[in-house]
Amino acid sequence: MKDLKHLIYFENLLQDAQNELVTKAVEDGQIALGYNCYYIPEVLLNLEGCFSSRLRAPNCTSSDIANYYMTNRTCPYARSILERAIEGGYNYLSCLFGAESCATMERMEEHFFLINPVKHDGFFVTQIDPPMKGDQTNLDYYKAQLKLKVVDEMKNRLGVDVSDEAMRKAIEQHNELSRIITEIGNFRKLDNPPITGYEFHVIQLVSQVCPHKLILPYLKETLEEIKTREPEEKFPFRARVALVGSEVDDPEFTKLIEMCGAMVVADRYCFGSFPSREQIEIKEGETAFDAICRHYLYWNQCARFMDGFKIDQRHAIAAQLVEDFKADGIIYENMKFCEFWSYEKVLANHIFTNEKHIPCCTIEKEYSLGAVGQLRTRFQAFIESLEIKSIQGGK
Amino acid sequence: MKTVAKIGGKVAMFAFLAFVGTFTLYMTNGENKLIYYVIRPLLNKHYDSQVRDRRIV
Amino acid sequence: MMFDKVIAAVDKKLERFDPIWQAENGVGGQRDRYYDKTGVAKWREWRGVKDTMVDYGAWLKNLASMAMMVASAPIPCLKGFWEYRWMGSYLGTFMFIDRLFEGFRGYELVTAHKCMHAIVRSLTKKIAFCLSNDRRLGGGKDTDRIVPMDEVLPPLFMMGFKELVPFPLQTLPEFIICDVDQHIEPYYIDVAESFGLPADVCSRCAAETGVALDDAFPLIGKAMISTNMPCNASEATSMFQRRRIGMPDFPVTLAMIHNEPGAHPYSTQMLKDAIAFVEKEYGVKYDWDNLFKYAKLMNEQNTIELEKWDYFKTPYSALCGIAETLYRLYAWASVNGTDPYFNKVDRQVIKIMRKAYEEKKEPFGGRTRHRAFLWGPSAVYYTDFPTWIQNCWGINIVLNMDSTMGHNMINTEDPDEAIKDLALFSEKATMRHHAVGGWDNVNAIWEWAKNFNCDMVLMNDNIACKGMLGVHALMEEQARDLGFHFIFIEHDLEDCRTVSRQDMRNCVNGYMSVVLGEEPLDPTLVEFDDSDAY
Repeated sequence: MKDLKHLIYFENLLQDAQNELVTKAVEDGQIALGYNCYYIPEVLLNLEGCFSSRLRAPNCTSSDIANYYMTNRTCPYARSILERAIEGGYNYLSCLFGAESCATMERMEEHFFLINPVKHDGFFVTQIDPPMKGDQTNLDYYKAQLKLKVVDEMKNRLGVDVSDEAMRKAIEQHNELSRIITEIGNFRKLDNPPITGYEFHVIQLVSQVCPHKLILPYLKETLEEIKTREPEEKFPFRARVALVGSEVDDPEFTKLIEMCGAMVVADRYCFGSFPSREQIEIKEGETAFDAICRHYLYWNQCARFMDGFKIDQRHAIAAQLVEDFKADGIIYENMKFCEFWSYEKVLANHIFTNEKHIPCCTIEKEYSLGAVGQLRTRFQAFIESLEIKSIQGGK
Repeated sequence: MKTVAKIGGKVAMFAFLAFVGTFTLYMTNGENKLIYYVIRPLLNKHYDSQVRDRRIV
Repeated sequence: MMFDKVIAAVDKKLERFDPIWQAENGVGGQRDRYYDKTGVAKWREWRGVKDTMVDYGAWLKNLASMAMMVASAPIPCLKGFWEYRWMGSYLGTFMFIDRLFEGFRGYELVTAHKCMHAIVRSLTKKIAFCLSNDRRLGGGKDTDRIVPMDEVLPPLFMMGFKELVPFPLQTLPEFIICDVDQHIEPYYIDVAESFGLPADVCSRCAAETGVALDDAFPLIGKAMISTNMPCNASEATSMFQRRRIGMPDFPVTLAMIHNEPGAHPYSTQMLKDAIAFVEKEYGVKYDWDNLFKYAKLMNEQNTIELEKWDYFKTPYSALCGIAETLYRLYAWASVNGTDPYFNKVDRQVIKIMRKAYEEKKEPFGGRTRHRAFLWGPSAVYYTDFPTWIQNCWGINIVLNMDSTMGHNMINTEDPDEAIKDLALFSEKATMRHHAVGGWDNVNAIWEWAKNFNCDMVLMNDNIACKGMLGVHALMEEQARDLGFHFIFIEHDLEDCRTVSRQDMRNCVNGYMSVVLGEEPLDPTLVEFDDSDAY
């Protein structure tokens, strides 16, 4: 396929948390609001006058200082973020909206106010206590937490307009961006898609780490380009897989799978487009804020949810993605030392393999892709098994 | 009176023997040796031979 | 008077058999009594006439409780021993109690045994009750009246259901038994790992998962109550228990960041939701008067506990070390005001504590050199660690993190206030309040240590506890700044294979000999092999 016009530009934007668009937005007087987790609604952080910046630590090959603070037995994502903060990589941020999504994440975020690694006047940190069930009691708590620790803080400390009108506008803009990403992503449903999983991963990531207003024109142009892009003559991969699991913010990981022969057709992981790019609907009689809370609680696929509905929902949604995107199997990944996904991975492997009869390969990964030999072997073996299955007519 | 004394004597004798027996068992750590060296190895043999219904659901 | 003289003469005659005397005189010590590796003592500890009789008396009482357990349900008990691997481990109870109270004398021995007997008495009853109603073993008349609950959720709020019996599901096969036998949970951990669970998750939760997958939970009740407490792995393991046990379940997800006003209304509502769930599943009505009856017992337990704290702050506390830790943990987490016998024991123990304080009687013969506060989740497979550290290095653990669990009083008149109090109380459950849920919770250790006049903080370093690992360096820096002796004690909670008991001891040995340059009280305890011991 012909190279996408902006792909190299997008790739470059992912080389640094403070990329050129972030710098430009801050110089234009926009307030940069950091967050780590889907529990903090991205849309809220894109109210007029500010922009969301989902924290990554690109090219973090060593987390020695963070290891000192948090030991080397905790989630490498959290440690890498702390390391990058200490290195001064997030000095553009005005605040960090944290979530006690897991113990390690909470501890990492605490270091942001305990050792003050971010050198920015007035920088502050709040942490919500996110819900663990999808019921009304938890929705009420989620609303209360977001109001107290995100919305009120934005209004009182940063002077952001958090009125219903402002939120409705933010939802509109968010929906527009989401519609574009979803439209691009839907090309992956085709038998011979004009886009690779890697390219989509890059596009999805830039939409999360760049100011929406500045990245939107590039995304629109890319969508138009893909509409007329000629795919390869023949589908160049040996299999199609859905990538499901915890945090993946390095497109090289997707590239690794694709180089082993399987196209990543669906991305259901933290930083992926499922969830994050669904349309937010405001129901009749509902405030924009209520709609946002309901939306994010419903779509959240985190493995920390404990109630039966949410547990079943995350397996059902992954299975639905396999069907919609015609995936031959699932690669279920978790970040090393992640308690939630370590357990979820075992359960999901059982459910997909034995109950839903979807081939499933489970792997554990580091944050930075250093030694990938073992992973490559696992992927190759899995893809081979999918191929054999396909040759044998799905048996 | 004699009968009472006799019964009392027997109770006292029984209590004394029970004390001697249990105290000897206690001081020599007899019950723990029996459990550690005899009972638990037998039980473990049984547990190891069990076929458990081992599955997720 | 004459009697005392005789006893003193006998004691003098036999003192060479007393391991403390042996250590003081350089002719042996505690470890000389043991067969190598096994933890089996050749003979029991000679503590002098009076204390040996106290220990012997306690042994008899515990033996009687166990006999009662078997007599009350002989067939279920036999079936239980046959069916469940973890039941076999309960045979190690006597050895367990012996090692807990090694070196205890006088008042501290009496209080220790009073507390321990309450636990044995309660547990044996629980085992008999559970096995008699276990569907797998034939069931019983109460099978459907039992509500299996996650053991980390305080059961007090369930006492409003007077027709039902809340039962901590994991306590028998997992938590308590790991205290008794260090080799039992690795079996279940291996089961969980054989399904693909990584070895780096918390071993306690891995063990629970293993019990579920191995089909080794007793089958009781009609619906279960799980919880998000205390932490991530605990939440995750509930998924497996829910599926494997296959009953309707209600996860009581209390606020994680709970030290703020906004959290309590949520936790309060969560308890109300749980009550509604039980009412629906069991077809019963909540009775507040019944709750109040037990809340009063809990309030009394906590009132006495607060008085105990005053004595802990002095050098004359007759309750200390593992006796204090284990009793408070069990009395709070498992009993939680539901058993009046514990109130009786509390009243007896506080009386002895008052007396010991009046007499200015120091525990352990005044051999304590350091007063330590123990923080972080403790190694369950090395319950006698506080005993060892006192006997070997003279470090008296005056209070444990878990002892500071919910100690607010519960309103016993107004249901609306009572449920709020219960929410606050339940949020501060085992490991929950201290290890996770915000920096302030863990950073509170320094204030606690200062208030209890400690010069040392022992920080349990569970190698898989993500909440505590995340503050490693900050804790060390705080200790240095505030001038506390500070030791990280590495362990793997329920897996003795990763970090052995000797490895744990080495953490202390290194600090005491190299950093503080101190000599051990009992050199036979510095290094020994107890790898095959229960």
